[in-house]
Amino acid sequence: MAAWARAVRGLLLDISGVLYDSGGEGGGVPIAGSAEAVQRIKASGLKLRFCTNETQATREKFVKKLQGLGFDISVAEVTAPAPAACRLLKERGLRPHLLVHDDLVPEFADIDKTNPNCVVIGDAAENFSYANLNEAFRVLIGLEKPVLISLGKGRYYKETDGLKLDVGAYMKALEYACDVQAEVVGKPAKAFFESALAEMGVRPEQAIMIGDDIVSDVGGAQQCGMRAVQVRTGKYRPSDENHPQVKPDAYVNNLAEAVDTILSQM
Amino acid sequence: MAARRALKAVLVDLSGTLHVEDSAVPGAQEALKRLRAAPLTIRFVTNTTKECKKDLLERLTKLGFDIAEHEIFTSLTAARNLLEQKQVRPLLLVDEKALPDFTGIATDDPNAVVIGLAPEHFHYEMMNKAFRLILDGAPLIAIHKARYFKKKNGLALGPGPFVAGLEYATDIKATVVGKPEKTFFLEALRGTSCAPEEAVMIGDDCRDDVGGAQNAGMRGILVRTGKYRPADENKINPPPYLTCESFPEAVEHILEHLL
Repeated sequence: MAAWARAVRGLLLDISGVLYDSGGEGGGVPIAGSAEAVQRIKASGLKLRFCTNETQATREKFVKKLQGLGFDISVAEVTAPAPAACRLLKERGLRPHLLVHDDLVPEFADIDKTNPNCVVIGDAAENFSYANLNEAFRVLIGLEKPVLISLGKGRYYKETDGLKLDVGAYMKALEYACDVQAEVVGKPAKAFFESALAEMGVRPEQAIMIGDDIVSDVGGAQQCGMRAVQVRTGKYRPSDENHPQVKPDAYVNNLAEAVDTILSQM
Repeated sequence: MAARRALKAVLVDLSGTLHVEDSAVPGAQEALKRLRAAPLTIRFVTNTTKECKKDLLERLTKLGFDIAEHEIFTSLTAARNLLEQKQVRPLLLVDEKALPDFTGIATDDPNAVVIGLAPEHFHYEMMNKAFRLILDGAPLIAIHKARYFKKKNGLALGPGPFVAGLEYATDIKATVVGKPEKTFFLEALRGTSCAPEEAVMIGDDCRDDVGGAQNAGMRGILVRTGKYRPADENKINPPPYLTCESFPEAVEHILEHLL
């Protein structure tokens, strides 16, 4: 019955919507059973890596927050978009105008931001003001060759007080305004998953991605040759089960249930 | 070309056609008088997201044009008509100055979203409010989807990008009510008992005025005033029924050839 859970050597875990729901005063609320699930994975000998599109804070900051919420997680175990974007910017000699959350800016500390020749957009939340969007738009429309780099392209995510617009919506806004297409760094881009797998040292056929976003997590991972499981926590909505293109290898109620099944097949 | 029915209605764009900023197009007031002497229904049509009919009427009257309020049809009117048709209560993301055109429409406990050019409403909190309503089934109505517009200090984002963002996030398509949508032109003729084939549109925007009108079954006359740029007439297919210097010449042609 649980054939999907066999022959596994490593797991990629999404963070928001799988480990916890963000928002509220404490920074977030853990999802029941997720902290123990992480510990059980680590005790089992399976390799583990956190594959997240989190861009509201530096890795140090959000890892610290998650540790405070009871999770056994370290920066070294995280694959996140900002560092990947920095590598890309340096490779291509790009100097970004940043439209990102204030707490993400330190990730770009040693990137030349003068005289920008591209725009990098992340999950800026309250920084998605008309004025800030307009500023980013003016930079782009003024470039002979407009380059828009989007850290992920999620449509929305779940916080403790409801669903909120994610970077994807604003990426689309700028794409429409400037008639350009953004380059996505982060899930569901193939390169992002591949780098996570490489860092974990596991081949796609031996890995399972567990996430709450049917397109960015599940669809993206499957496109790399991994198996992918959809949790019914976080941003999950019942209509996801009728997605016209993406069919997860399994639906599980939460991370704990996924781990139960995987460990039972070892 | 197939034989056409006799002309019964004329739609006239405002900004760029009857006037450019605060000056009337030379000879336009006189030309309008001559047009009124003919057996034609006239409508003044415009995409606006922040000028209510009263404000438009005031501006045009000051410029010497003889116009009645009921002859003005704007994208705001089109939005209002749609709200009434659907019997919904809108979250109005429109400029304060546009609100008079929505008086009488209930807005408490909204179950629809209307978006115009309203930078003061396009902050994260309000966008999330609109997003959640649409996700719950509220129709999304866009006054128009302009990408950007020109301000004194540079370009500025129009409502289009925000509509596009919400469409993506909710996987829903907005109903756009302004030019160049077909429904705008058909709605403008509502109550005139004129069919599109019996109407002609005069405007300075080749794609939004002329292209849109012709796509709705009307004839389109492109005038070389306002935002017109040389060779604009080559940008639509089929080309404008006529391209001429300005509104007075368009009226001459109508009186001489289309009645």
